[in-house]
Amino acid sequence: MSRSIGRFVMLLAFTLGIGSNTSFADTPIVELRIRNHLFFPDTLEVPAHTKIKLLVINEDPTPEEFESYELNREKVILGHRKTVIFIGPLPPGEYPFFGEFYPKTAQGKIVVSAQQPSE
Amino acid sequence: MRSIRLFLIAATLAVLTLFNFVAALQGYSSSLKEANKLFDQHLRQTAELIARLYAGHPIKSLDDESTLAYQVWRGQELLASFGIEHTQPITDFYPGFGHANFDGYRWRTLVYYDQDHRNWIITAERTDLRYQLAESVISHAILPILLSIPLAGLLIWLIISHGLKPLRMLSQQLKNKQADDLSPVVLPELKSELQQVSQSINALMSRLEVALNREKHFTADAAHELRTPISALKIQLHNLEEDISPDNEAFQQLRAGVDRIQHLVEQLLSLYRSTPEQLAHNFCRINLHQLAQEVIAELHDKFEGKQQIAELAGQPCMIEGDPFALTTLLQNLLSNASKYTPAGGHILVTVNAEENTVYLKVEDSGPGIAPEDYDKIFKRFQRLNNKPDGSTTPGCGLGLTIVRNIADLHRARIEIERSCFESGTAFIVIFTRTED
Amino acid sequence: MFLNSVVLILQEILEAALLISILLVLSRQLQLSARWFATGMILGGIGAFILSVNLATISEWLDYAGQEILIAGIMIAVLGLLTLIGLYSTSALWASRHSLPYLMSICVALALSREGAEIVIYLGGILNHQESVQPTFTGAGIGAGIGLSAGVLLYFGLLSLPARWIFCTCILLLALIGGTMASQATLLLTQVDWVAYSPVLWDSSIWLPEDSIPGHLLYALVGYEATPSLFQAIAYGIGFLLVSISATLGYLNHFRSRRKNTGEK
Repeated sequence: MSRSIGRFVMLLAFTLGIGSNTSFADTPIVELRIRNHLFFPDTLEVPAHTKIKLLVINEDPTPEEFESYELNREKVILGHRKTVIFIGPLPPGEYPFFGEFYPKTAQGKIVVSAQQPSE
Repeated sequence: MRSIRLFLIAATLAVLTLFNFVAALQGYSSSLKEANKLFDQHLRQTAELIARLYAGHPIKSLDDESTLAYQVWRGQELLASFGIEHTQPITDFYPGFGHANFDGYRWRTLVYYDQDHRNWIITAERTDLRYQLAESVISHAILPILLSIPLAGLLIWLIISHGLKPLRMLSQQLKNKQADDLSPVVLPELKSELQQVSQSINALMSRLEVALNREKHFTADAAHELRTPISALKIQLHNLEEDISPDNEAFQQLRAGVDRIQHLVEQLLSLYRSTPEQLAHNFCRINLHQLAQEVIAELHDKFEGKQQIAELAGQPCMIEGDPFALTTLLQNLLSNASKYTPAGGHILVTVNAEENTVYLKVEDSGPGIAPEDYDKIFKRFQRLNNKPDGSTTPGCGLGLTIVRNIADLHRARIEIERSCFESGTAFIVIFTRTED
Repeated sequence: MFLNSVVLILQEILEAALLISILLVLSRQLQLSARWFATGMILGGIGAFILSVNLATISEWLDYAGQEILIAGIMIAVLGLLTLIGLYSTSALWASRHSLPYLMSICVALALSREGAEIVIYLGGILNHQESVQPTFTGAGIGAGIGLSAGVLLYFGLLSLPARWIFCTCILLLALIGGTMASQATLLLTQVDWVAYSPVLWDSSIWLPEDSIPGHLLYALVGYEATPSLFQAIAYGIGFLLVSISATLGYLNHFRSRRKNTGEK
């Protein structure tokens, strides 16, 4: 009985990807800075079908919210703080994002290209 | 929707706010779109102007006041620039409008290619400044809409309150009505919506009045008509007493029965007389203390028969009242006390004045009444079976109804509590005091 | 700043206002005193303040996943409370009905803490930009006005339904909110890689963009998402079923106990 429960929990953990921490090692990290309510860089190129760890650093004293309807992401980053957002894997295309608190200036996009980006 | 008024105000205000604000939002969006078009047009005109100027010889600057910046490029060579210190191109050389982050700001850019002279002209405007300008203009137009909502709310509140005034007056009139007041409801100005309501209420009132009158007269007439045959019965009983031995049990029971019928009929009549319609309003100033003394003396035989001690305490107090009715009230309260108090018990009558009231308190040392029965005892023909042996005391159960009718007539209040004796009940009738 | 603050405030206020309206109608149908509402509002305000002050620290917990884990936790707690509210409001037991006001006030307090914290952070940040204050607060007023009006109209709309439909509709709407909570919690956990990626099921952003007024309204009411992932949809289904099945169980229990009582008589 208890063994079958344990197996069920493991199965559940596997399905929900709770055990997916091993994938941290090979997840590419992309850095995005917020300065004077602008995103630097304002265009991020990332490979297709790959999970990306987006490191967002807010250099402004004011809070900002990273938001993208296309990526289904929304996260508050307080002043002088940094945070991590996982995105993807994504099919090739353009995914605009913006800072919800200052959307007129804080605009950017993620360009997912089919081939490896040249850096 | 507990209150019609609250519902009307809240729902109206919500609809007004919702539509006004959404409309304002739409207005804002389309204004901003138009403003953007104008700003873009300005960028284009400036670019064309610069193109023409740089066709010949370059000049220093276009306009010192302008919020626009520009660069003129020929190949990789920066011919001229304004508003920007940097020597990199603001954006890529693709003709058309676009956005770019440059020099710590976000810019709306236009790249214009002058084919004749192979010049690239980039005109740009900081988006934060552009929106700040557009926004301050438009949001000043929106602010009044926002501020007008509380004012509209106040007006809606006043209008709806005013509109519901006839309804409020109708309910106020119905609320203020005395229980026995069956006169029609009159509204100063009858709104068409309320016409049916007030007509129906008034028709109901008059039907009720007829029915109540019929009931009252029937009781009074029947009681009155019964008096004569009962008197005849009493005489016959008296005559019979001489022929039969007095301790004949059947005869004793017959006499007790006839006495009870006579009491019932008398009580029914005094109940009828104690209703406001029947009592002649011949109010006068009465010394309640003295009246109590008279009634105690009148009922002396009754107390003596059960070896009960009846005492009167307090001081002379004047009230406004009907002497006959108040005598009936005292008689009923005292007979009740005597009836429900076992032989050898105590009955204490107190008449005293407090700040602006005069109270009459009748206390007995009987078994007492349970607090949950206090409301019941004033009902007609209601009698409580609270004797330990289960037997009942003779009586018809109208006494306290009469007491209450008379108290109501004098706008007096009746309270019941435990008596000062070990057991028993205290009836307190509280009158308004007449100024001495 | 104006339009932006309208959207941001509207989003948060609308979600809270609709939940509160439904709970108020439900508590009225059950003839409960609405005192829980005031308690919930006060606790929610305090919660929003505490959360907004500490969010910076919380965000850095658990390898920068703290914010999502906490908010997903709040959402799952709200789902749990909605399940209990569904179960207890249909159940015949007087004791369980007695605990409903507490559940409702905690539910409102949690929802308000989450929504309120974002508003406090946003408006607090704007205060540093003198030139943006007037348009932002005008926008906040407009957004709050639209959100609250929608809540008031939903309240009266629900009350004007035929009496036998009111209760079912409230439970249905609560179940939809329960689904939204589960789906949003899944999304947040995907964002910090606590739940694995799953493919996007459909894209309706062309027909009904999420950032339009109908989009916001539908999001607040039924948790509309233009590009939902598979796991989000599954979570939505689980959340919806949890609330609706618990309400049905409560009802069946009520029905059975009533039939047993009448049978004994």
